Amino acid sequence: MGIENIRHLIGNIIIYIGAAFMVFGVVGLFRLKDFYPRILVASKIDTVGVLTLITGFAIRHGLSFFTGKLFLIMVIMLILNPLVAHIVARSAYLSGHKVNGIAGGTPALPELDENGE
Amino acid sequence: MTQALLVLWILCAIFIILENRIYRVIIYFGIFSLITSLAYLLLGAPDVAMAEAAISAFCTIFFIICIEKYYSSRDNVKKEEERGSKKHLFRGFVKLLPPLALCAGLFVLFVYFIPDSPMSTYLKYQYLMRFMQDVGGENAVTAIYLGYRVYDTLFEALILVISVVAVSHMSYYEASQVKDGKHSEIENSGMAIFTMRLICPIIIIFGAYLIMNGHISAGGGFQGGLAVATFFICRYLIYDIYDIPVNKVIKLEEIVFISIIIVTAFAVFLGAAAYMPTAFLPFYHNIYLIIMNVLIGMKVACGFFVLFYRYIAIERR
Amino acid sequence: MIVFWVMFALLALYMVRTIKGPAMWDRLLGLNLISTKIIVIIIVVASIYGKPFLLDFAIIYALSGFIGTIFLALFLSERRLGKQRGNKDGY
Repeated sequence: MGIENIRHLIGNIIIYIGAAFMVFGVVGLFRLKDFYPRILVASKIDTVGVLTLITGFAIRHGLSFFTGKLFLIMVIMLILNPLVAHIVARSAYLSGHKVNGIAGGTPALPELDENGE
Repeated sequence: MTQALLVLWILCAIFIILENRIYRVIIYFGIFSLITSLAYLLLGAPDVAMAEAAISAFCTIFFIICIEKYYSSRDNVKKEEERGSKKHLFRGFVKLLPPLALCAGLFVLFVYFIPDSPMSTYLKYQYLMRFMQDVGGENAVTAIYLGYRVYDTLFEALILVISVVAVSHMSYYEASQVKDGKHSEIENSGMAIFTMRLICPIIIIFGAYLIMNGHISAGGGFQGGLAVATFFICRYLIYDIYDIPVNKVIKLEEIVFISIIIVTAFAVFLGAAAYMPTAFLPFYHNIYLIIMNVLIGMKVACGFFVLFYRYIAIERR
Repeated sequence: MIVFWVMFALLALYMVRTIKGPAMWDRLLGLNLISTKIIVIIIVVASIYGKPFLLDFAIIYALSGFIGTIFLALFLSERRLGKQRGNKDGY
């Protein structure tokens, strides 16, 4: 059993851990009844899952051109995924989307569609 | 695994057709184009996949801006409830049946009358086996659109120039009007601005990489130009002003278009293009491809920049 | 290969959330999650085939996918604030 096989084994284990993270995120996405807990769970679990998966692939492929590009994708995901979650949640908050009947950012918003359309 | 993806694709298309509310349609269309370009990638057309991925973002932006313009110009907007009833959905499905039947019939015809023997293989030999020595570069798509079919590329560039000129003339404003355009009431949060400042240089470096590397791997002028235009959109999101003079950008685009024509003509007469086999060394072939890719990338970036800024100026005047 | 099918199932589930989601922002969230899943699928395919050039696609998806979501969110909240200000159509 060479160093190659050990590296593949560790990489596979980390990849499966990342996939498991994402599956738990889906459970949260369907069980929670409100928008804000949903976006909290989904974005957080998704970012961590993707980063773990990419780390697993990087370990699997060793030090090569492939790993360099994977590192670039990792940096971009680390920057952009929380940004999109932040902007979506901010848009919902500014528009006065309610949390279980408690008003959000702007208190009184009469005669508006509940779903933001 | 491509087939499983295509099932999702068809489901998404059906949801787009049966949906009545316009914002939902935009979001479903985003998913649809994402799955489309992944299917292109798995089916072996990387250049088309990259163009589709870059275009989908622009399509979303232009759709939103046009819809907002439409709603803000109308005096009384109809209530949404009138349009979102179950009966309407069923009627839409009934309307959908004849074209579906037609498509099914065409599919059956296609399956039964598929030719079993290949047609002439002369063109296949000409294009696929000899493009490396004819045009140079390792990407056959680049060899086709910059070598064998360079006149088609010229006319596509002309179409983009015409559309940009048309949009910029229909939405003509005085310089002061555009400069004092209505700023966004919700300014972006500080976190978003900081993060987009981090991401901007990555975008423009990656666009330059796509343009310069277009003749070796997937990519090319169009895709790289779209990436560079994305950089300008990010810049608008950060600073929220129109400080770039659009008229000068239109001038620049016209100059670039004329230089594309000149470079092509020089290449034809000097023999760097594909249809004159005994010409320069392969080194010059690569230089020709890189120059053409850079010019096309500049043109596409300028064109989409002008379109975006004009639309935003209309919307937020 | 297993990871590919897991990601594919997640893609279908997120599509269900996007189509069912009660609020508009649920759909936006679903769009973002789907684009993330597509990036992961591309990485998996590139790793299976062993072709590094496929990763360019993942990068360009990540770089250009967020723009549309940001614009949708911006315009949605602006429209709502305009309605609150008293204009009939949101502006």
